[in-house]
Amino acid sequence: MLHMKDLAKVYRTHMIETHALRGFDIDVKEGEFVTVTGPSGSGKTTFLNIAGLLEEFDGGEYLLDGVSVKGLSDNARSRLRNEKLGFIFQGFNLIPDLNLFDNVDVPLRYRGFNAAERKRRIDQALTEVGLASRMRHYPAELSGGQQQRVAIARALAGTPRLLLADEPTGNLDSQMARSVMELLEQINANGTTIIMVTHDPELATRAQRNVHIIDGRASDLRRGPSLVQSHATA
Amino acid sequence: MLRYYLALGLRSLRRNPALTALMVLTLAIGVAASISTLTILHVMSGDPVPSKSKRLLVPLLDVAPKDSYVPGQREPYSQQSTYRDTINYLRGGPGVRRTAIIDVGSSIEPARREDPLIDVQGIGTTTDYFKMFDVPFRYGGAWSAADDERGSRVAVLSRKKAAQVFGDVDPVGKLIRVWGNDFTVIGVVGDWNPVPRYTHLINGSGGYFDGEEQIYVPMKTAVDLEVQPNGNVTCMHEAGAGWAGFLASECIWIQVWFELASAADRPAAQAWLDNYAAQEQKGGRLMRHAPNELFNVMEWMSVLKVVRADNKLAVWLSLGFLLLCIVNTMGLLLAKFSTRASEVGVRRALGAGRAAIFRQFLVETTVVGLAGGLLGLALSFGALALIRQQSKDLSAVARMDWEMLAATFVTAVLASIIAGLLPTWRACQVTPALQLKSQ
Repeated sequence: MLHMKDLAKVYRTHMIETHALRGFDIDVKEGEFVTVTGPSGSGKTTFLNIAGLLEEFDGGEYLLDGVSVKGLSDNARSRLRNEKLGFIFQGFNLIPDLNLFDNVDVPLRYRGFNAAERKRRIDQALTEVGLASRMRHYPAELSGGQQQRVAIARALAGTPRLLLADEPTGNLDSQMARSVMELLEQINANGTTIIMVTHDPELATRAQRNVHIIDGRASDLRRGPSLVQSHATA
Repeated sequence: MLRYYLALGLRSLRRNPALTALMVLTLAIGVAASISTLTILHVMSGDPVPSKSKRLLVPLLDVAPKDSYVPGQREPYSQQSTYRDTINYLRGGPGVRRTAIIDVGSSIEPARREDPLIDVQGIGTTTDYFKMFDVPFRYGGAWSAADDERGSRVAVLSRKKAAQVFGDVDPVGKLIRVWGNDFTVIGVVGDWNPVPRYTHLINGSGGYFDGEEQIYVPMKTAVDLEVQPNGNVTCMHEAGAGWAGFLASECIWIQVWFELASAADRPAAQAWLDNYAAQEQKGGRLMRHAPNELFNVMEWMSVLKVVRADNKLAVWLSLGFLLLCIVNTMGLLLAKFSTRASEVGVRRALGAGRAAIFRQFLVETTVVGLAGGLLGLALSFGALALIRQQSKDLSAVARMDWEMLAATFVTAVLASIIAGLLPTWRACQVTPALQLKSQ
């Protein structure tokens, strides 16, 4: 589903070069649920942005669903994002002026679906996250957990192949975080590949696989508990 | 997607009504100022007779004395013709029609002695005048060429003057008494008010834009009755004694028009005029040997400076003001769009390309432009109404037509698009990753 080989990303200012990723390798198979952990500044978010085609990379290879994304035009990248990817952010990133229906509608508009198809998908996605009855409400009228559920519905409505989540529970209390995590596991169980960046060791253990990033390089750790243990020992 | 962008644009504008109102008002004021002055310039400088303007020509010969002549410099007063040249033009000049215009004025004597005299201003002309300038008739018609030859006592009245003298009835066949003679009314002109008054720009009873001919009589009739010219008479040589001496003089006081079958006949008309001037020079006239000139309608209006320099300056100033308004609106849009960087980031992440964001924001600025256009139109009407109060001349030109109505909207939308280009472009440059993380 996602293949990165020897990927490099350098941020340059006129004085400093920062190597956010170097020699970065990762393979994520279809249907996997992968958590990405690592200390602050290790390159987790850079990896997620490049994976989500929100940023360019400077070297190496990146295949998304078998397609090399290097050198693609802005339009082609946008289309790939729209058709194959779904995003969930720590800050939810709902558009405050739009009600839930219209928020979930946003990616579907760019996909070019007709009105009936859009409505069907929005109904289904909001039902899946338990918010179908509140589709005319605005984000400000919802709790943080509910807002994140709407964001998940928005990501799901376009039936993406790969869901990218950047600390989706970071702004939620533990109960809401658990509920969101259960929802993501359910989505993964239905066949959607998920890559989730998290700081929470407990959540990292719940995934099938954990990738740890340090200094822009990935260490593939098969199981969360062993990771937690090894860090605790160290 | 256009409807979607339109709905988003309206929603966004409703979110901040004060800022939206400020942008709309700024654009509207700029548009109204420029459209008001442009409307006046448009009417002043517009082609009053597009179907014929290149085929209607005014001939001018320089009959002034040779002394003080500077080659290449036109004598500023040589804008009319002598009686002698006029008669020769009418008899043998170029084109399918030829006419001449002399200014006449008098009073119509009332049927009852106790009623007051009715002032009347008009022209002595020829029958070709009516066909040449496509003059419509409400009642009756023009006189014939035979009436021109005979100097018949016939008259055509304007609609207003006919109503003033006879009331709202058909006066054809009735008599009016002018210059001590009875004239039979043979026609009443319908609604005809070319703006500018290109047919009679010199000495018209009114300005370039205002007024109308109230009475038309055959030129020969006026000459036979020795009706004193009511307009400018410029004599650059000593005139002989009496009316006959005046007619034979080099005084210029008559306006002449040729109508050509086609604009392509103009070189032939020029050749005819040059040949005529050469013949006259052999007879001892036209000693300056200055260029013999023909002017079509638009050239003639330019020679007479129908559009004054201050009218043009006003347009430039108002366009400068519009530019200021655009810059102001640009600043407001920049401020507005900068608060929407996070929305742009989200939309980009969800699949909107830069082009889609560009279209969305451009539609939003166009909505502002359309609203500005509507308000600008209302303000333009108000401004033109105020301008009309200033003078009779301005009241004739400060009127909106369909072209300017369309121009108002095009100007407003273009102004808003220009104002929106930079803010929209900047919105497209938002780095989504940065915005999404900073939420």
